[in-house]
Amino acid sequence: MTLQPEDFWSFGEWLLRPQAFLESALLQGVVLIALAILVGLLVGYLVSAVRYGPAEGFYAVARAVRDLIRDDLPGTSPRRIVALARLAYKEAIRRRVLVVVGLFLVGLLFAGWYLDPRSSDPGRLYISFVLTATNYLILLLALFISAFSLPADIKNRTIYTIVTKPVRATEIVLGRMLGFVAVGTLILIPMGIASYFFVTRGLQHDHEVADIQELADGRFEGKLSYDQFHEHTFTLDPPAAAGEPSLGLTDAVRGHRHVIRQLDGKYVIGEPTGALRARVPSYGTLVFTDRGGNLDFKGIDVGQEKARGGYSSAGIARLVGVAREARRLEYGYVEGGGGSLGSAIYSFADVTPSRYPDEEGIPMEMSLRAFRTVKGDIVSGLRGSITLRNPDNTQLESNPINFVVQEYDVSEERLPRQIEGTDGGQVRMLDLFEDLVTPDGRLDVVIRCLDGQQYLGATTSSVYLRPAESSFAWNLFKSYVSIWLQMVMVIAFGVMFSTFLSGPVAMVATFVCVLLGFTAERIYDIRYYMDKGESMGGGPIESMVRLLRQDSMTTDLDVDAIAAKVIQGIDAGLIYTLDVIATSLPNLPKMLSTAEYAASGFDIFGSLLARHAVATVGYVIVAFLIGYFFLKTREIAA
Amino acid sequence: MAIDQSVTSAVAEPKTSSGTNSGVVIETRNLTKVYRDFWGRRKVAALKSLDIEVRQGEIFGLLGPNGSGKSTTIKLILGLLFPTSGRVLVFDQDATETRKNERIGYLPEESYLYKFLTTDETLDFYGRLFDLSAEERKRRIDELVELVGLQGARHRQLREYSKGMTRRVGLAQALINNPDLILLDEPTTGLDPIGSRDMKDLILSLREQGKTVLLCSHQLSDVQDVCDRVAILHQGELKELGRVTELLKVQDVTEVHARGLSEAAKQEIAEVIKRHGGTVESIDNPTATMEELFLNIVRESERRPGARRVTSDSAAGDQGQVKAEAKS
Repeated sequence: MTLQPEDFWSFGEWLLRPQAFLESALLQGVVLIALAILVGLLVGYLVSAVRYGPAEGFYAVARAVRDLIRDDLPGTSPRRIVALARLAYKEAIRRRVLVVVGLFLVGLLFAGWYLDPRSSDPGRLYISFVLTATNYLILLLALFISAFSLPADIKNRTIYTIVTKPVRATEIVLGRMLGFVAVGTLILIPMGIASYFFVTRGLQHDHEVADIQELADGRFEGKLSYDQFHEHTFTLDPPAAAGEPSLGLTDAVRGHRHVIRQLDGKYVIGEPTGALRARVPSYGTLVFTDRGGNLDFKGIDVGQEKARGGYSSAGIARLVGVAREARRLEYGYVEGGGGSLGSAIYSFADVTPSRYPDEEGIPMEMSLRAFRTVKGDIVSGLRGSITLRNPDNTQLESNPINFVVQEYDVSEERLPRQIEGTDGGQVRMLDLFEDLVTPDGRLDVVIRCLDGQQYLGATTSSVYLRPAESSFAWNLFKSYVSIWLQMVMVIAFGVMFSTFLSGPVAMVATFVCVLLGFTAERIYDIRYYMDKGESMGGGPIESMVRLLRQDSMTTDLDVDAIAAKVIQGIDAGLIYTLDVIATSLPNLPKMLSTAEYAASGFDIFGSLLARHAVATVGYVIVAFLIGYFFLKTREIAA
Repeated sequence: MAIDQSVTSAVAEPKTSSGTNSGVVIETRNLTKVYRDFWGRRKVAALKSLDIEVRQGEIFGLLGPNGSGKSTTIKLILGLLFPTSGRVLVFDQDATETRKNERIGYLPEESYLYKFLTTDETLDFYGRLFDLSAEERKRRIDELVELVGLQGARHRQLREYSKGMTRRVGLAQALINNPDLILLDEPTTGLDPIGSRDMKDLILSLREQGKTVLLCSHQLSDVQDVCDRVAILHQGELKELGRVTELLKVQDVTEVHARGLSEAAKQEIAEVIKRHGGTVESIDNPTATMEELFLNIVRESERRPGARRVTSDSAAGDQGQVKAEAKS
């Protein structure tokens, strides 16, 4: 999992972007709400002007605004909202939407057949399976229940008996949303509980001791039986005293270990541990140095690594053309070998004994990549070294700790409390917190590659300290909260569209919104190349022309100048429009990727959920206002 | 049949015979509704320049064939449709105001209710929409279930109901807020004669409580039985407006009802009429209406279950009817 710049922002940074307010979520939200209101008023005016004439049209729009502020918002009654919400809820329940839960459970029963038990990381596989399945199922359900209800009421005219009561349009819209959210929640809870047990029980397994022999130092070494498509080796310490059990630990295979106890010749193999984790990482900042030792912020680009994208984090700044560049973070590489001074320097803050109380040292985890320009010794893997350094006094430096890069896997290291190092050319034992960490808690960790002509890839999120571990159940709960928020968003959009579109059309419209959210980065990318004037096949019309003429993407458009101008003009219009739409839609893929944290065994940090929650509230407000406006100005009986 | 045209003009100066005050509850001014298609093209003018006033405490009937604009008028009054031109005022507020609904009860043409709710749930739901407190809702629901006679079916889903029963639930929901103005769209359709009679009695009792009722119907007998005033619509235009009693009165025909007359006496009366220059149109025994007959049978059967009714030919035989036309 490669984290992107915005993932490191705190909630406040995300909301306000102190250095770049144009990129702030707050500004994006305010602009979006203002835009929705403005467009709503304009469209409303145009429609009523066509219908009643320019002056009357103005009054009609003014009346709707006045009604909202004077009557409908203050007159909105919680009791009526609850009544309408209960109605929507009962309707959905009596339409047997709970069948979905049953389907999900049946799906889980059979899922075991299709989840590869030989996977190298079954925990990840199981978690991402349940989360993805729940997510798509719930979004689909939200789409269906929210889009069809109001149009059905209008079609059956049951709405007549509602709107002839003192019911505000605000209450109808809010009531629906609340009712469906209640239904969705009711469905999500059993799914979450079932998922938890599916994952924990699914990873449960047992081994037996297959082979054991005594070593020279009195310890034992052995092998466990081949079960669940894997086996472990283990070491067993001799008992501390007679009558005490001897304890041992297996190696980590497929993300887990077993604890072994031996007493009176009987072995007890413990449950798998370490497969379901929720690491709480503490990230640092990363700079590179090139082979000459000069500072370099991105590291070496080895090609095919720097994916484009990540535009969306720039918010409005990108839309108005202030921030253009793609900002996706990818691995930068460090050149290895004796002659290279290349390194990746991580600066960690807040490194204090109270945060890392473990006497054995500070836990540090790494997931680095390797790039080889010569084959080298492929079996032993790429070697690297870790050096701890005092950021204020670079003369204080530990001796290197060597390691072998485990690609596509997380390896754990301990930064020892006492380590031999150099203090201005003098070799002595250094104390981690006394000598290497500054009084305000900063520490530099320097990663180097030891093999010549080989490169070590690192990104900000690939090396981190791990001050704490959170519980897996809690983490799973948080991923479900994220799914819940996405559901709320889809319901709000569904209800909004259903106030003025028929059921199927409202569903498709909501679906398109979700889909556009997923293709947003592509659209931003096209816009980027269009702004830069680089030919990458152009917009939709140009692409079509190229397709029909069987022209290459990278050549100039081979039509006469006027036609090219027209085509590119239309394309620009289309792309800019799509850009505006995509920027105003919720960034669902970002929310969806929250599951990735749980699957990779990282704690979903609170600020991420808070961000999603605030964004959801913002979109619900927009959907509510638009829905209100359409319902209010609509002739119910027409 | 000549209908007195002067009645129409008499409406301008309202007669408050039933002792109610003449406060205007509904007023339509030059009300026009043109239905348009999606592209704004004119499809049909459903209502053309309607001017009516419904006064407090009266039962006002909208009468007309299908497609004459009755339902459109009701929907405009309720704010379900917006007028193309003209205005509707209900309790002196614009019809699109939500607050007017506090005092309105509406029984739609067909009972547009949620089929998955039970009677109690339905009434409770609509009670909540009026922001009634829990005790108030319970009290009203008990009263109304009693009133419309659905005591035995309170916990059954509406999907299991017959049309008449749904109609009763519909009526109960229309009265949940104890409204001042009740709009009834075809109140007796789908009801059996007893239900229909009950409905009409209920409408009359509502008037006694000082409420205003607007109903639209094409069941002429309903309108005749209960309405104080009617407006007759045809093709979206108001054709006639006035008090039912006066609209229906045939001014140049005299009707005398008498009991216990001999044949000779009837002859004599005929001669008296002739002498005064009138023509005798018929001297006849009146026939009861089918409704009366049916209701009598049912009442009898309820009093003496199991027994077949014995037809007595003399039931109406002793009642003579004289219909004469006075030549003016």
